[in-house]
Amino acid sequence: MPVEALKDVNLRINEGEFVGIMGPSGSGKSTLLHMLALLDDVTSGTIIVDGVDIERLSSIQKTHFRLTKFGYVFQEYALLPELNALENVCLPLMMLGAPAREYRKTALEMMETVGLGQRAKHLISQMSGGEQQRVAIARALVNRSKVLFADEPCANLDTKNSGIVMNLLRRLCDERKQTIIMVTHEPEHMRFTDRVIWIKDGMIEKEGKAECQ
Amino acid sequence: MNVPFGNRFNLPELGNDVRVAIFLVFKAIARGNKYTLVLTILVTTLAFINIVFTSSIMNGAISKAYQQAQENYVSNIVILPAIDDKYISQVRQLKTSIDTLPGVISCSSRYAQSGLIRYDPEKDNLDVREKAWNIKSINPEEEIKVTNLQNYMIAGRYLEEGDRNQIIMGREISGGYGASFQISSLKGARVGDEVTIIYGNGVKRDYKIKGIYNTYFPLADLNVFVTEKEMESVLGLHNRASEVLVKTDGSVPERVYIDRLKTMGIESEQINVWMDFIGYISGLTQTFDIVKNIVTFIGLLVAGVTIFIVIFIATVNRRRQIGILKAIGMKERIIILSYMLQAAFYAFLGIVAGLIFIHIGLVPYFVRNPLPMPIGLVSLALVRSDMAVAIVSMLMVSVVAGFIPSWMVTRQNIIKAIWG
Repeated sequence: MPVEALKDVNLRINEGEFVGIMGPSGSGKSTLLHMLALLDDVTSGTIIVDGVDIERLSSIQKTHFRLTKFGYVFQEYALLPELNALENVCLPLMMLGAPAREYRKTALEMMETVGLGQRAKHLISQMSGGEQQRVAIARALVNRSKVLFADEPCANLDTKNSGIVMNLLRRLCDERKQTIIMVTHEPEHMRFTDRVIWIKDGMIEKEGKAECQ
Repeated sequence: MNVPFGNRFNLPELGNDVRVAIFLVFKAIARGNKYTLVLTILVTTLAFINIVFTSSIMNGAISKAYQQAQENYVSNIVILPAIDDKYISQVRQLKTSIDTLPGVISCSSRYAQSGLIRYDPEKDNLDVREKAWNIKSINPEEEIKVTNLQNYMIAGRYLEEGDRNQIIMGREISGGYGASFQISSLKGARVGDEVTIIYGNGVKRDYKIKGIYNTYFPLADLNVFVTEKEMESVLGLHNRASEVLVKTDGSVPERVYIDRLKTMGIESEQINVWMDFIGYISGLTQTFDIVKNIVTFIGLLVAGVTIFIVIFIATVNRRRQIGILKAIGMKERIIILSYMLQAAFYAFLGIVAGLIFIHIGLVPYFVRNPLPMPIGLVSLALVRSDMAVAIVSMLMVSVVAGFIPSWMVTRQNIIKAIWG
């Protein structure tokens, strides 16, 4: 019997907005993020991004959409261990066919933005969890993504590194007008967002400004 | 929606996909687990050696059979009497004409007559060994230019033109010197022993065994030779022959000589290319070819399955990584291509290592220590076309072995691939 993970979810996220999604385990917050990020299929309903009904795209168009419009930060960093930090960040630009000199320059700038310019040549295994997550953020944004999705980006980080990552996300939102949709368990992180959406039993329970909750 | 990328057959895009796939393969190999790399290459090396070794042994056996037939049995071309004749007449004139043909090295005539060989080691009529064999005559001076029997004497000496009461015989007839068919032989006749031959025409002569040869080729080793002059006196004939062997230089195929010989008035049905003359050889060749193809096919299958398992394990272990690559927008074809290239790279290194081992290890070893087979001492024969087939097949099998598991994993839902 099919499980209904989300139902009757109506949601509008504005460009440049930092939205936090909270809710208990099994509430459907990750499912929502996966569907918004085109990682999972929607059985009914529509998702409009930048005027495009993304659920109607072909498989190859969805792949291209993920590459050009979306950036995704996983809970467990999800970097390629065979590549160094800079190469991980270069990968989306390589896939877009950028010339080597250009993608290395852009990736290095992105590494500087996340504060890891000096660690660009280090292998992933030589970096701390916080640094790895910042590399993942750099990779997610290097192709000037419209939307950055973050799935509990600080779940595996200590307090200090969590603070660094959350401050970085907030700064990206402020300075680059980056749209960010983040799932988190941590109420503490909500203060970095513009708006919080609470999900419970697959439905939006409430939403509002973070400091108001 | 404008999607500049995502066209399956856009050449620049395809080129870029290949570039990304090569980049991933290069990094995966350069920074991956070295032990896994070495083990994988070792497996592909062994799989390649297995294919090449088996087909090379078969080729070696076929090549040895050809060589033996040409060098020690019938040379390149055999001319027989016309269907209604027992002998070729005017044979000296014929040989002189044949010798003038371009590409002919030499020719030699032989008489052939059945005969019963009787061997009584103690000359007391208590243990008489006798059996019928084909007795042939040779002109020793001519014969050494056409066949190589003189180089295979294992005891005694080769015949000389003036020998009248002496014979040479193959090891398998003597039954001594380690013969393998002893039960149908003279069971231990040695050089210097006397035998009696009762020819098919009733003539009975005593001979001393002058030499025993062993070519390891049964057809050649089951012959007894006397000199041409001796046989002519037995048969009461002169300037005739039961067969004429022609040795050519190999510059053109033997069949070309059929037309040339026909212009000399020899009927085409009398002229036989060595391979047609010995149906046994073409049968052997066909059998070896079938066995070779079956073994090569099985070898390829084993190699393919082995590479498949290695790539499959690597792919399954990287399922999560593949899911992540898809999540960040990597096309399935780049991922699949990278695994196919990786498998092809393993196969390529395996082939190179295999070729090096074969050329500096196996071939020199088998040249020094050929395998004793019923057709002679067999060494490895590396045939270029077979090697090319093995290399191309190996690469193709590895590419398929890289494709299937990566295709299976990339077809999975991204979330399922990442989280299982």
